[in-house]
Parts: sequence; C-alpha cells; structure tokens
Amino acid sequence: MLTSLYVEGRSWFHRLPVRAKLVALLLLSLSLFATQSLYLLAPAFLLSGWLYFSLGLTLRQALARVGFVFFTILVLAAVNLFLLPLPEVAALVLRLMALVFFAAAVTATTTISAFMDEITILLKPLERIGLLNAADVSLAIGLVLRFVPDIFARYEAIREAHRARGLPIRPLTIIGPLIILTLKDADTIAAAIDARGFRRQ
Amino acid sequence: MNTRDLVLIALFAAIVVVLGLIPPITLGFIPVPITAQSMGVMLAGCIIGAKRGALAFLLFVLLVAIGLPVLSGGRGGLAVLAGPSGGFILGWAVAAYVTGIIAERFIHEGQSESRQFGGFFLASVVGGIVVLYGIGVPWLSAVTGTPLLAAATGSLAFIPGDLLKAAIATLAARAVYAGYPLLPVRA
Repeated sequence: MLTSLYVEGRSWFHRLPVRAKLVALLLLSLSLFATQSLYLLAPAFLLSGWLYFSLGLTLRQALARVGFVFFTILVLAAVNLFLLPLPEVAALVLRLMALVFFAAAVTATTTISAFMDEITILLKPLERIGLLNAADVSLAIGLVLRFVPDIFARYEAIREAHRARGLPIRPLTIIGPLIILTLKDADTIAAAIDARGFRRQ
Repeated sequence: MNTRDLVLIALFAAIVVVLGLIPPITLGFIPVPITAQSMGVMLAGCIIGAKRGALAFLLFVLLVAIGLPVLSGGRGGLAVLAGPSGGFILGWAVAAYVTGIIAERFIHEGQSESRQFGGFFLASVVGGIVVLYGIGVPWLSAVTGTPLLAAATGSLAFIPGDLLKAAIATLAARAVYAGYPLLPVRA
C-alpha cells in the first residue's frame, strides 16, 4: 500500500551517499535563493531537470511526481505576473522548479533505510542530552507502516457497515469510530512491545 | 515518554495517512475539495493533546521527507517540502501543538456538552487555521515572491472549507472524547 518513491537504478546519483545529496540540496537552495540572475537560474533549472529525468523514471511517472507542485508554482506565477515585473517572475519560477526537480531526484534515488540511517545519526546529539531515543523513532516509523493497511481495512469495514444499513457515507460518521477503534488498540500494542523488551525500560 | 504514548503517536500518524487515502468530497458551494487529511491537525490536537499531537505530525512529516507517498493523492518526498506549500506541511506540528494546548485548557470532564463543542471548535480554528496560515502564508510569500497581502487574500478562498473542517473535527473530537477520552488533563 505504501510503496516508497525510491526508484531502482544504478546511476551515479544513486551511488552518492545520502548525506552528500542532502547537503547538496541544502546548499543548492541557499545559493538559488541568494541569486536573482537568470543566467544562473536557467542553467540550474536545466541541469536539475536533466538530472531528474535521467534517473530511469518513465516520463509519465516523473511528471506525476512533481506535477502537483508545479501546478501550484504556475498558479502563483500567474498571480505574480500582475504584481511583479516579468524577469522577476521568471527567476522565481525557475528557482523553485530547479529546487523541486533536485529534491525529487534525491527522493527517487534514496532508499528509506538509507534515510533512516542518516536520521539516526542526526538524532544522536538529541539522544545524548536525553531528549529522545533514536531507536524510538525507527520503532514509531515501523509501527506506522505496519498499521496503515490495518487501519485502512478498518475504514473499509466501517464503510461497508454504513452501506449495509443504507446510511450515507459521510466523513463525520466514519472518522469517530475509526479513531476510537484504532486508538483502543494502543494499550495492547504497548503491552506487546514492553513484554518483548524492545525499549529496555 | 512511555510506550503507550509512543504507540498513540504512531497510530495517530497512521490514521492521518489513512485519511489521505479516503477520496476527497467536493461540495457544491465551495470550490475546494474537502480532503479528510487536512483535518488531521485539528483532530490530533483535540484527541491526543498538544505534545503527542505535535509528535504525531513530526513523525508524519518525517515519513513525507523520507519519500513515502503519505500525503493525500499519493504525494510525498522532498519535492513537496521544497515547493510553495512546504510551510504548511512544516507548520502542521506547531498547529497541532497549539490546538492541543487550547483543547487541554478548555475541555474538562463534567462540562456541559455545548461548552465542550465550543472548546474543541475554538482549538481547531485557532490551531488548525490561524496558526497554520500564520506559518504557511508568510513562507509561501517568501518562497514564491508573491507579496504577503496577495498571498493572504488568496488564502481566504480556503477559509470556508477550513471552517467546515473545524466543525467536522469538533464533532468527531467530542465523539471520541465521550467514548474514549485520551486528552491529557492540564493542571
């Protein structure tokens, strides 16, 4: 149900370590926001677009992933045309689209487990000062992935129950029971986790 | 944080993912489709409280960032965070926190039903609309260069839908509170 946005591939960008990609994304966004020059922004847009489309996604998949964000950017650009001079609007659109392409490229070439390793390292300082437990974060992510299909099945069951009784299907009448039924499981799951000693508390 | 809190946070994040899978409903009189997911912020604060609600959304945003398509319509990944509405997504945790603070302050056992409805509605509107737009709109304006006033005026189009969501969240939160109260008591 929740298939990652990672795309299998062997490109040089796939082989780059996650940290390098994330630092590159950060540096790129800082430098693109520092410039107004179309001579810098247009090549940045073309390069990151080329990078993104060279990762092995089909054109349709590639566009589907960034389409919604681009739609928002273009709508805002259309508004900006009435308020700002044209070169400025062009700079804004190119900058944002370049960033979105690059960010989408990072997402498409990094596996969830690679991200998780990096997050665990980033959380180390917080763990040292006793603010949180890095292992808890991976446990929580695992719990979400494990329970989404179950909760969705429960949603379907509630919907079927509505249908069987001829009730209209409204979010209001579904969300309440869905949340209560789901959160009632919390105690059982927490007891199971503690019984297995996963958190060593 | 005990294990039960951790599980509640994870389960709520999972509920928010599921709300994104529910097909959106379009109402005749407002142009914006109502996705159940964007009610999640109000629901999280009102149902599991400030701290756990905010953590549930931090967890959810983390899932977005590592490339899981958990946003409604199967969106996700760093591209969404880099786009114009990134501020709204990053603002969710803060919005859930404020919603929770207000809900914890104003809702007690033994109050009249209408006061509880009022409290949940106030929490949903202040946290889920005022705070969320207070973060999302300036962010959008800074990123896209759209003047702040224009960005704010444009967002007004979404307010009727959001008020409707606050009303639905209020009714749902009160139903959960009556059936299975989880909201922490604030001294």
